[in-house]
Amino acid sequence: PELLQTKAGVDGLLVGAYSALRGVQADGTAFGGGDSWQTSPDNWIYGGVAGGDAHKGSNSGDQSPIEAIASFYPNATNPFFNSKWIADYEGITRCNNTIKAAVKTPGYSASDLSNILGQARFLRAHYYFDLKKMFNYVPYIDENTTDVVQPNTADIWPKIEADFQYAYANLPPTQTDVGRANKWAAGAYLGKTYMYEHKYSDAKAVFDDVITIGVTSGGLAYALVPKFHDNFNADTKNNSESIFAIQALANSDPGGITQANDGDRLNYPYGANSPFDCCSFYQPSIDLANHYRTNPATGLPYLDDFDTHAIKTDMGYQSSDSTFVPDAGTIDPRLDWTVGRRGIPYLDWGLHPGNDWIRDQTFSGPYSPIKHVYTQAEQNTNGDQHSWGPGTAVNYNIIRFADVILLAAEAEAQLGNLTKAETYVNMVRNRAANPGGFVYQYLDNSNPTNGYSTTPAANYLVNPYPDGDFNSQGLTYALKAIYYERQLELAMEGHRFFDLVRWGVADQALNAYFLYEGKLTTDITQGHFTKGRNEYYPIPQTQIDLEVKGGKSVLKQNPGYN
Amino acid sequence: YSQSTYNFNEQSISVKQMFKKIEKTGNYTLFYRLDQVDLDKKVQVNTKDASIEDVMKQVLQNQSLSFQLMDGNIIVIKPLDSKNAIDQTITGVVTDAANVPLPGVIVKLKGSTIAVSTNADGKYSITVPDANGTLIFTFIGFNTQEIPLEGKKVINVRLTEESKTLNEVVVVGYATQKKKDLTGAVTVVNVSDMTKTPSGSVNELLQGQAAGVSITGSGQPGQEPDIHIRGINTFGDNTPLYVIDGVPTSDISTVNPNDIANLQVLKDAGAASIYGSRASNGVIIITTKKGSGKVKIQYDGYFGTQVPKGGNVWHTLNPQETADLQLMAEKNSGYTDFSDPQYGNGPTYVLPDYIEPAGAHNGDPSVNPALYYVNPNYTDPNDYNNFYRIVKANKTGTDWFHEIFKTAPITSQNISLSGGSDQGNYLFSANYFDQQGTLIDTYEKRYTIRSNSQYNVSKSFRVGENLSYSVTENPQVAINNPDAIIAYAFREQPIIPVYDIMGNYAGGDGPGLGDAPNPVAVQQRTKNDQYLSYRLFGNAFAELDLLKSLTLRSSFGGALGSSTFHSFQYPTYENAENTSTNQYNAGSTSTYDYTWTNTIAYHGVFGKHDLKVLFGTEANQNGGSDLGGSRQGYFSFDPNYVSLSTGSAAGESNYSDNYPKRSLFSYIGRIDYAYNDKYLLSGTIRRDGSSSFVSQYGWFPAVSAGWRMSQESFMKNITWISDLKLRGGYGIMGNQTNVTSTNQYTQFSSSIGQSYYGIDGSNLVPGFYENFLGNPAAKWEKDINSNIGIDATLFHDMLSFTIDYYNKDIRDLLFNPPLPGTNGNPSPPAVNIGEMKNHGIDASVTGNFKLGSGIAINATLSVTTYTNKIVKVDNDANYFDTDFGRRVGTNLVRNEVGQSLGEFYGYKVVGFWNSQAEMDAANAKAQKATGDPNAVYEQDMGLGRFKYADVNGDGQITDADRTFLGNPNPTMSSGLNLGVSYKHFDFSIFLYAVFGNKIWDNVNYWRDFYSSYETAKSYTALYDSWTPTHMNAKAPIQEMGTYFSTNATANSYYVENGSYIRAKNTQLGYTFSALKLKNMGIQKLRVYISAANLFTITKYPGVDPELPGTPGAASTDFGIDEGTYPSSRTFLIGVNLSL
Repeated sequence: PELLQTKAGVDGLLVGAYSALRGVQADGTAFGGGDSWQTSPDNWIYGGVAGGDAHKGSNSGDQSPIEAIASFYPNATNPFFNSKWIADYEGITRCNNTIKAAVKTPGYSASDLSNILGQARFLRAHYYFDLKKMFNYVPYIDENTTDVVQPNTADIWPKIEADFQYAYANLPPTQTDVGRANKWAAGAYLGKTYMYEHKYSDAKAVFDDVITIGVTSGGLAYALVPKFHDNFNADTKNNSESIFAIQALANSDPGGITQANDGDRLNYPYGANSPFDCCSFYQPSIDLANHYRTNPATGLPYLDDFDTHAIKTDMGYQSSDSTFVPDAGTIDPRLDWTVGRRGIPYLDWGLHPGNDWIRDQTFSGPYSPIKHVYTQAEQNTNGDQHSWGPGTAVNYNIIRFADVILLAAEAEAQLGNLTKAETYVNMVRNRAANPGGFVYQYLDNSNPTNGYSTTPAANYLVNPYPDGDFNSQGLTYALKAIYYERQLELAMEGHRFFDLVRWGVADQALNAYFLYEGKLTTDITQGHFTKGRNEYYPIPQTQIDLEVKGGKSVLKQNPGYN
Repeated sequence: YSQSTYNFNEQSISVKQMFKKIEKTGNYTLFYRLDQVDLDKKVQVNTKDASIEDVMKQVLQNQSLSFQLMDGNIIVIKPLDSKNAIDQTITGVVTDAANVPLPGVIVKLKGSTIAVSTNADGKYSITVPDANGTLIFTFIGFNTQEIPLEGKKVINVRLTEESKTLNEVVVVGYATQKKKDLTGAVTVVNVSDMTKTPSGSVNELLQGQAAGVSITGSGQPGQEPDIHIRGINTFGDNTPLYVIDGVPTSDISTVNPNDIANLQVLKDAGAASIYGSRASNGVIIITTKKGSGKVKIQYDGYFGTQVPKGGNVWHTLNPQETADLQLMAEKNSGYTDFSDPQYGNGPTYVLPDYIEPAGAHNGDPSVNPALYYVNPNYTDPNDYNNFYRIVKANKTGTDWFHEIFKTAPITSQNISLSGGSDQGNYLFSANYFDQQGTLIDTYEKRYTIRSNSQYNVSKSFRVGENLSYSVTENPQVAINNPDAIIAYAFREQPIIPVYDIMGNYAGGDGPGLGDAPNPVAVQQRTKNDQYLSYRLFGNAFAELDLLKSLTLRSSFGGALGSSTFHSFQYPTYENAENTSTNQYNAGSTSTYDYTWTNTIAYHGVFGKHDLKVLFGTEANQNGGSDLGGSRQGYFSFDPNYVSLSTGSAAGESNYSDNYPKRSLFSYIGRIDYAYNDKYLLSGTIRRDGSSSFVSQYGWFPAVSAGWRMSQESFMKNITWISDLKLRGGYGIMGNQTNVTSTNQYTQFSSSIGQSYYGIDGSNLVPGFYENFLGNPAAKWEKDINSNIGIDATLFHDMLSFTIDYYNKDIRDLLFNPPLPGTNGNPSPPAVNIGEMKNHGIDASVTGNFKLGSGIAINATLSVTTYTNKIVKVDNDANYFDTDFGRRVGTNLVRNEVGQSLGEFYGYKVVGFWNSQAEMDAANAKAQKATGDPNAVYEQDMGLGRFKYADVNGDGQITDADRTFLGNPNPTMSSGLNLGVSYKHFDFSIFLYAVFGNKIWDNVNYWRDFYSSYETAKSYTALYDSWTPTHMNAKAPIQEMGTYFSTNATANSYYVENGSYIRAKNTQLGYTFSALKLKNMGIQKLRVYISAANLFTITKYPGVDPELPGTPGAASTDFGIDEGTYPSSRTFLIGVNLSL
């Protein structure tokens, strides 16, 4: 450790603390030794699949611990939780080691030191935030803790707040490297923390500054990018909407895809003639797709009865059966950047062929994920084939500006400022409505990389809420619209389950989802969310067994898991 | 033909010398009593052509003696004054058991100094003062016999040979002992029995041959088996310490079995503790052959063929049955729409002619070969995306087992040249061993040469060396791994052919064909890979006798090893999940390990006291380094082109490591004391200092004692007991294999996967992370060992047995306890926290029987038992789990306090849910017990699914209902060597048996459940699974889904009885008549035929019940079948030739 108490040593420790964001220690291997997807930092399992954004995918029995999570059978011995736990504490340990070394390193200016400490504390707060939303009460270890066997009796929100507040107060507005957290990333995350604590006015105060004067680490003023898909494109990463992202680099590790979203390696179309090696996981749900139906008259979503306006699927069709015709109704264009469906251009990979790219349609539905998928044109640079599953150079945004805008909309609504809330929501909808950001049909279906025509791939229609709509319909409506917008905008980005819990509606939303989706596919027919228990995942039994003092565990299991 | 006249001219000669001259020149035998004749008296003898009488008179001048000439040139000398009347002269002949006369036998009157020895014809004559004495007949190598005179004049005696085994010299720690003097538990292995089995591995040969030693191997050439001496001694590596010609090592994989002269296993503290911190796993001492006598050339060779198990070994359904099973599962799951891309639209499923394009039939335009495009050596993903595969369905089914397991040859050719004299001795040997694996492209080819020599510089100074050099080529495959070739073979569906219509590989690329890679392709792609290792092992030594009883010895030896490998990873295209990168890997390692031993040994005999004392020091150090790299993006895959230099720079990766040095310095002491050949006492002590620990030094003492009851007068008359000894010992052995010398330090490291990051969004930047948490407090594992044993030799060596009971209390077990997650993810250090107990009995019985008409039978039975019990795991946890079942998401093994290491853990299946009413009743009970109206008894309950036991009786199946499902540790293992010889023929059979162990047959996970991926399925799934009309089934209902109540968790369905008996080896030999061969210059010629693994008797339904553990975790994770490399039947012919 003495060796590392130099500026270069501390910076190496700090880079290591960032590196832990990826959740993996080696190709395909999570911290702690499990499979990389168990700790995927985009929480596609714990936030996405569990939130009803998507099915586990693949076929029955493949990664069955995820099936248990999807149906809320999660039990404390499910090894995935233990992996997740270790991965976050590994990040925390690296932050603490950075802080410990930094304060002993001579030669720092006050601002340099506070920049280092700010970044380390920002990252530590991020890891604790992840633990908090997963497990609720967890042990808190910081740079001063000598005995790591600590109880989980205290609420750690104040600790997370303190770290983000320090980072917000001490980090510079821009950094030399775009991957580093800056003042505004800390502010945004602090606001998000307040939102989880339902401290709406605190959140609003921070968000106001973030939205109006915040810039990225690279110095770009925060703004929604004109094209929705630019958030999910390796060539346009670290743009003005990217507040804090995990930097993905394809083909940088010859030993595997550790730097290229390793945890998503299973989540690509799979099957006969699929150009991807793995594995048909994380298939968007039919219910999710239905949310993107818009009212042909208003261009607004069906906030309550979206499933009665379901989007036509190719369930039961073989790919060779050419009689399937895609849905002709009005659809929010974000659907086709979020859900791969038959007959619609799947990036530049060709028209999605349906069943051929799905491992088991009966089990997990007809759709494929898109948001993290690289393009065919750049498959050699943004795709990474150094392992048995694909890697991708598409960054995962832990917070992007649209997320902040919608959180701010919530805060404003909760504080009674429905007009302001509506403005925020409409910012997001207007961006979606930009025709420049639609999916267009190919010039030549047999040569998809040849470019796109000017004909939209589907009947896209999305409009902002009419001025004053929120105000006239009241808070309940406004919140419903904001929540709904959040789902449309941030679907398949690993937030959904945590949002549902935060809103206190997880039981209604998810049990309704099981009721609907469970009739269409066979994977979650037994799914049931139990209020009072399933809001949080169980403390891993392994950790309960390991954290013992005087013959008794210092860790208390979450309610309902005993 | 004695001379009749004698000429002597001796001026002053002793009577004794004169007697010698007479005996020599006259061929007389003189008998006299030592108390009557003054042998040292100087006399003058001058004779010229004198008779023997004249000569004798001169010799006996001035002594009052007379003599008498008797038949057979015997001269008996008696006193002149003679109370001749009472003196008795007894005569007789002494012979051995086969009536061959024994010359030189001492015949002594008990309690006097009167003694004579027998002549060349075994005759003797002794004059004794009275008729009531007892004569004692003693001769080296024979049992002493006492016969009371009782007035007899003629006493002919037949002496029985002393037990060879009792007097066998056994090499123990830093010394040798006769077997009869052993006080520790030592198994002396019969090397000739052992080496009958065709194998290149000494450890494998040892299976069943040594009581107390458990060995579990596989059929893979060069794969070293798991070895445990007296149970499982540590959570980590159980490899014993091997000592070859005095040099300790942990690796004997390169030892040529033909070079072994003898092999001993030191099992208890009394025997092994002198090896201190490396003794706890037991010690195996090997001495290699030395030359002696005139130049001898020995050739031993065999050639044979290995035949894999025949038939449908995995009970695989054929393609039509597979389709039928799918339909059955779909119907059971309530499907109504039966359309399948391969099998058509129902109502029954029909096999297609082509599986790619899926479901195509002959004549479809899509199967036009002109459309076909596959470039197996593609380098561009765009090229790959344009592939058009055409693959015919194999409607009769591909037998994947026999596509990868083929008949394969095996040979061993060994020649040695040896000789010796009092100036020294030498032995040179060369061996070529080549075992092709039955699994394609696996093999072990090994070349070994050895040179052992000793130079006797003077009578008191000797130097010499024992050296062997080996070159081994040994590519291996991973076994019992669900994601390795053998598992691929039972996962790959039979409808998939090996090759497509153009001869490129076929695979699971089409819909519904599963995700296993084509195992033939996997293995054939390794054809040009190379795994080569070199090893020099041996020592040089010098010995100086300072005094007759004091010897100094210095030995410097060790191993120098190096290995290199290169492999090429081809892109794949035929499978469901393909890898498009090509990559070349190459690397090398080099290691060293040296030991310098210096000892001083004293051996003195004072009357009835026999004392041996030894002191010494030993210094040991080992270390090494490795170096390697890989590249990708090759322009051509030609093996002559690919190298680390020719790949693309972008795909470059390299590594190098220096292994942390580890050194050990030790003081050694031992005392062996025997009183009157009856009471034996031995003490050893060692003080080891290790660089692995902060607190470096530790003591390892042991004492043992023996009582040879048969030497007591009260037992001497029990003639059928040749020897009976009671032994006992107590001591402490240590173990440090589970700790590295860097264990004491907290370490930070840097690696791409762990800690690099693209902090600027485009370039990877190195970072640091804490990769190891140090533990400065670590020390040795302590194995506190007590042993009690009996050795007996009965009926004049016809029967001997050894039986030992031992108890080991193993404390301070080094264990890398999983760290609380709040530490993050550094590797945990070894910490001394675990505790374990082993106890057991090991026994062996050997019988040698000579029946009439030249039939001789010998038999050795050895029995090994152990009971292992975990006493403590950790200060925090009372268990640790191993064998994570990736597909079921839980561990299969729990190592828990109170249980044995390695026990299987999960839910216990108690039956099926046969009716809705049964389920409702169970749920009602659960609701009552929990007070929750929505409670269910068991997750995913369903008709025909498993009903689990409610172990804790709380009315619901929860985690807490998991229980121990079976113990993979056998209650007993046993080996029986049986040999019969008749005239020129010899026959032997070696049976090995393991009883009472359980096997986790995870192969069934893949094959007995339709929903376990789209793999090949078993007969059980289709014909013996639950249906409403077949409730008494083996497997549960076949469904499309995976459920907690079927195959989504670890349960007792997989646990099987693992007992078996195997004929490891049978051999029939013929030895040519020595007389005829002598003319041809041949000393011995024997030819034989032999069969290994001729039959196995077991209830285990898998391919092979012998299942080694997971490499690196074999002590806690074993007995799990997930695709093992079975032993194959081997037929050999062989020759033993001596010139």
